[in-house]
Amino acid sequence: MTKDEIDLLKTNPADLLACPDCDILLLKKHLYPGCKACCPRCGYTLHIPVKNSVEKTLVCALTGLLLFVPAVFLPIMTLDTMGMEQAGSIFNAIIKIYQNGYRGVAIMVALTSSIFPLIKLLLTFTIAFFLKIKRYPNCLPRCLRYYKHFNEWGMREVFMVGILVAIIKLHHMAHIHYNFGLFCFIALLIMALYASVTMDEHEFWDRIEHKPEKLKN
Amino acid sequence: MISRGNYITAREAGLILCPDCHKLLPEGGLSNCPRCGAALHLRKPDSINRTWALLITAAILFFPANILPIMKMDFLGKADYSTIIDGIIYFFQTGSYGIGIIILTASVLVPCFKIIGIFLMLLSIHFRWKGRLRHKTLFFRIILFVGRWSMLDIFVIALLQVLFNFGNLTSIEAAPAVTYFTAVVLSTMFCAITFDPRLLWEE
Repeated sequence: MTKDEIDLLKTNPADLLACPDCDILLLKKHLYPGCKACCPRCGYTLHIPVKNSVEKTLVCALTGLLLFVPAVFLPIMTLDTMGMEQAGSIFNAIIKIYQNGYRGVAIMVALTSSIFPLIKLLLTFTIAFFLKIKRYPNCLPRCLRYYKHFNEWGMREVFMVGILVAIIKLHHMAHIHYNFGLFCFIALLIMALYASVTMDEHEFWDRIEHKPEKLKN
Repeated sequence: MISRGNYITAREAGLILCPDCHKLLPEGGLSNCPRCGAALHLRKPDSINRTWALLITAAILFFPANILPIMKMDFLGKADYSTIIDGIIYFFQTGSYGIGIIILTASVLVPCFKIIGIFLMLLSIHFRWKGRLRHKTLFFRIILFVGRWSMLDIFVIALLQVLFNFGNLTSIEAAPAVTYFTAVVLSTMFCAITFDPRLLWEE
């Protein structure tokens, strides 16, 4: 065993971190915004610090939440062919696929395109809000933990590419009008992506862990 | 940080990494993380068996997903069924190469790539192949990232059938393969979640 290794073993676990992908032990170092920490063995991105992470996340999540209802329920585009018009929203698309008998698929589409991303935004907002006003309810760690799991299942950006593909498929056959819902959806997508980029999980966990103790009167 | 080649893992140091909040804790004694409440395991529980099971499920479902029709198109009373491959060929024939390549990548290449990739990684754990570990881990992260993009075709069909619907004469509807296809996406995603890349690095 080398001297470095013995030093690491003596260090307090709070000053160490381990790579989730290859399990090597590293010393925690303070990072300035603009830097990032990668695992030297497997290349995993360990940490990207963000300046004013809580405030940025809070703003983006709130904007995203406001845009959610119009993005899902307003028609995203109208198709105009042979004198007939047909408008469709994301909500209609889910209902239609459910009515056609593909219930599992409809539930999966509803969950991945709307419900999981909504829960994720709500969790992001709740966490950032409580960290901002410096209140620490007991559910906060659980919220941050669930956030991580919903992160994997939100597929809004895939849905956006789906909209683009549908436009390309249909523009030969009919005239397409773009509706307000589409613009709300694009704005929601950008806000949600930005909220997840600015959310610095390390800092959030640190803040939750080192919450100030209640002042004694 | 320690010099290259002299690595020590958390397991060797008697530490355990919380899977959700990435806090390091002493091994033994604790069953849940004191910070976030997640169940603690040294490695993901039963990772190899679960990954194998989901991988085989995905590989079996991949066939009906590609052979059965995924879309039914009624055009002036004439019904026309098409599979995923037909849709891609249609794009290439009409000259939309870009979009053809996107659909081909998202719905055929990505699931294939995931199934073969995870298969090779499971083999490399089983036979203890220790070459190119860094590349394998990177490859795993790519698999984890691209998985959700396979849902693209399902979303396109969901949108087409609500937009392109002009009474009984001209409409687009989903066909049986959508269920299988969604199941392939689900099982490959779970497969990547249950796989533990740290097992690749272990002796």
